[in-house]
Amino acid sequence: MVEHIRFHRLPRRTFVGIGVAGGAALALPASLRNTRAQDVTEVRLTHAPSSPAEQNVMTGLLDTFMAQYPEIRVSYEPVTQEYNTKLQTDLAAGTAADVFAFDSLPAPDFMAAGVLAPLNERMAAAGVTPDMFYPGLIAAFQQGDETYGLPKDFSTLGMIYDPSLFAAPTETGAIIGGTPEAGASPSASPAAGGGLAVPTTWEELRTVAQTLLDETGQAPIVFGPNFDRYIAFLYQGGGMVIAEDGSAITIDSPEALAALDYYYGLYADGLATTFTEVGAQWPGDAFAKGLAAIVFEGPWLIGFMAESAPQKPYGIAEMPAGPGGQATMAFTQAYGVNASSEVQDAAFQVIAWMTGVEGMTQWSTGFGVLPSRPEVAAVYLEQFPEREPFLVGGEYARPWALGPGGERFNTEANNELQALFAGQQDTATTLANMQSRAEEFIRLP
Amino acid sequence: MATLPVQKRRSRSPMESEDMIAGWVFLAPAFIIFATFIFGPILYSLWVSFYNRNSFGTVNEFVGIQNYRQILNSPDFWNAFRNTAWFSLGVVPTQTAIGLFLAVMANRKIRGKTFFRTAFYFPSISSSVVISLIFLWIYQRNGLVDIFFNSLNIPLPNPVWMQNPKGVIELLVGAFGVDSVPMWLRGPSVALLSIMMLNIWTTAGTMMVIFLAGLQDIPTDVYEAASLDGASRFRQFRDITVPLLRPVILFVVTLGTIGTFQVFDQIFVMTSDGGPARTTTTLVYLIYQEGFKFGRGLGYASALAVILFCIIFVLFLIQRYFLGQTKDR
Repeated sequence: MVEHIRFHRLPRRTFVGIGVAGGAALALPASLRNTRAQDVTEVRLTHAPSSPAEQNVMTGLLDTFMAQYPEIRVSYEPVTQEYNTKLQTDLAAGTAADVFAFDSLPAPDFMAAGVLAPLNERMAAAGVTPDMFYPGLIAAFQQGDETYGLPKDFSTLGMIYDPSLFAAPTETGAIIGGTPEAGASPSASPAAGGGLAVPTTWEELRTVAQTLLDETGQAPIVFGPNFDRYIAFLYQGGGMVIAEDGSAITIDSPEALAALDYYYGLYADGLATTFTEVGAQWPGDAFAKGLAAIVFEGPWLIGFMAESAPQKPYGIAEMPAGPGGQATMAFTQAYGVNASSEVQDAAFQVIAWMTGVEGMTQWSTGFGVLPSRPEVAAVYLEQFPEREPFLVGGEYARPWALGPGGERFNTEANNELQALFAGQQDTATTLANMQSRAEEFIRLP
Repeated sequence: MATLPVQKRRSRSPMESEDMIAGWVFLAPAFIIFATFIFGPILYSLWVSFYNRNSFGTVNEFVGIQNYRQILNSPDFWNAFRNTAWFSLGVVPTQTAIGLFLAVMANRKIRGKTFFRTAFYFPSISSSVVISLIFLWIYQRNGLVDIFFNSLNIPLPNPVWMQNPKGVIELLVGAFGVDSVPMWLRGPSVALLSIMMLNIWTTAGTMMVIFLAGLQDIPTDVYEAASLDGASRFRQFRDITVPLLRPVILFVVTLGTIGTFQVFDQIFVMTSDGGPARTTTTLVYLIYQEGFKFGRGLGYASALAVILFCIIFVLFLIQRYFLGQTKDR
C-alpha cells in the first residue's frame, strides 16, 4: 500500500531520480579529471540551453575555444529543466561545475551567498574592463566594486506590432516578413497598410490603442499581470524599485502609482487584455495567432514567429517613452566562476574568451541573441539588421535585478498584480502590498 | 506475526540466536535502504530546522526554535495552510464518496465490468504531469470546459479558470449581494477548485480499487440473508456495506488526507509559482518555494516540513479516533 501513499508525490520521486542520475553523471568527470594527464586542465561548464539549436551553437563555440587553447578541455553539461534548482543543490553539495551561467534576477543571491569567485583581479590581469559591456548588463553582476560575472548576452523588451495597421516603421524600427519586396523599402511595403503612426510615447500608445479598439472592437494590446513587464513601465514613469543610493525600497511612490495606473488602465479600459483571456500561452503566442495587434516582448519572439507563424509579418519598435523618458528591461545572463572550483584560472580563461570579442561574435551571430559588448554590435547588426530596436534598447535598459531576495519578491509581486487584475484590490493597495513584500524579502546592503 | 507462537514454545537455544541473526541479515538490505533514504533524511531535516541555513549551504547557524516562531507568525504559512485545508476538505470526502460509489457499481455482476474497472483506474496510473498538462488545455479559454459552459449558457468566470483568484464561497454569496467576505471564509479560489477537480478525477480510481478489495471481503450470504428479510438495495448498502467497510473507509480517508496535504505536482505543473494571488500555494509548494526558489532557506523550509508532519499526524489521530473503533465491536 506504500505505492498509494506516495501517489501524490510522484514528481518528487522523479526529482530524486533526476538528482541521483545527475549526481552520478557529475561525479564521473570529476574522478576522470584526476586520472587525466597533467598538462590538460578540465573545466566543467553548465548552462540551460533553451533549445537543441542553442546547445549546438554552444558546442561549436567550445570547440573553437579548445582549438585555440589546447591546454584546456571544457566539458559541457547542459541542463534543460529546473536549472536554478539544480544549480543551487549542486552548489550546496559541492558538485557544481567550475563555470556556470546565472540569471541577473537571482544574481544578487548568488553573490551574497559567496558561491562566486571575485573576478576583478583576474580581469585586470587579462585586460578585461567592465566598460567593455553595456553598463546596464554588467551592473547586475557587481556587488560594491567587485565583479562576479561577465554577461554572455542579453534580451530587451520591445514593442511588436501588426504592420498592416500602421503606416511606416519608426526610425530604428523594422518590419519582418510579408512579401519578398518588402525588404527593399519598408515604408513602401504593402505590409504597412494602415494609416496609423507607430506610437513612441505613452499618450500615443493609448490613442492608437483607442483607435484600433474603436475600429475592431477588440483589445489591440495583449499582455499579462507580470511584474517583469510592469517594471519597464515603472522605469518609464520615472519610478524605482530601490532608491539610487540603495538605501530604501521605493516601489510605493507617486511615479510608480502613475505607472501602474497607466499599465492597469490599459486593461481596465479595454485597450489591453491578458493572454490567458484570449486563450494563448503567452503574449507572443497571442500575436502569432493574430489575437493581438501590439505586444511587449523580446528577441525570443523572432524565433517563435519563424516557427509558429512564418507567413505573418510583424514590426519591431522600441518601447514607448513615459514621463520619465525611455526605459526597457535587460534580461541578461552571465558566466561566473565557482568559488570552490580548483581550476579557477582556467575557468576564468574560458569565460573571458567566451565573453570576449571573438567568442561573443561567434555566439551572438550563431544563436541570434544580442551581444553584451557594444564592440560586437556592428557585426551583429550586419547579420540581423531587424533586431536593431532591441539592441539600441541596451543603451538605456535597466538590469532585470532587484537585489538579494529579488527572485522571491518577483513571485510575490506577480501575485499582487494577479489580485489587481482580478479586481480584488486597487492599484494603491497593490503597490502598498508590494512595498511591504519587498521590505520583507529584498535585503538591502 | 505467524512465527511468534512458534518462538514462544522454544527455550533459549543456539538455534534461536542463529534464527535471530538470519532474520536480521534478511532484514538488513531493506532496513539500510529505509534508514538511509527515509529515516535519515527525516531526522536530518529535523536537525536542520533549528538552523538558519541558506539554499547554498554557505550560511549555517544555530537559531533554536526561531524558524518555528517565524513560521507561525507568517501570513504566508497560514495562507498555505488555509489553501491546503480547503483542498483537503473538498477532495477527501468527494473522492471517497465517488470511489465507494464506483466500487459498488463495478462490483455488480454487469457486462464489461473489467472494462469499467480499468477505465476508472486508468487516470491513477497515468503520469500526473501529463494529466496536469492536459487539464491545463481543458481549462484554457475556449477550452473544453468553456465550450461545455457556453453550450449550457452559463456565464464564464473572468479571469480564466486557472488565473482566477476569487473564492468560490465568496462568488456564491456574492450572487446574493454579500460583497465583503473575510479571507478565511472565501473558500478555495476558482483556480484551486479547478485543480481539486483534477485531483478527485485522478484519485477516485485508486480509492475504487481499495474499496473493491474491501467489498470482496464481505461474505455474500450476509446480503442474501438481508434480501430474504426484504431489505432494499439502499438499506443493504447503508446497514451492511458501509459498516463492514469501516476499516477500509478509515484507510481511504487517511490516505486521502495524507495525499491532499502533500499535494505538489499539480500545483507545480499547472500554476505559475502558486498563483494567482497565492491562492494555489499549498504547504508543500511553500516548502519548495522557501527552500529552492531563493526563499528563506533550507532551515526554514525544513521547519515547515516538520510542522506539516505534525499536522498530518494529528489529523490521522483524529480520524482514527472517529473511524477506527473496530476492535470493540
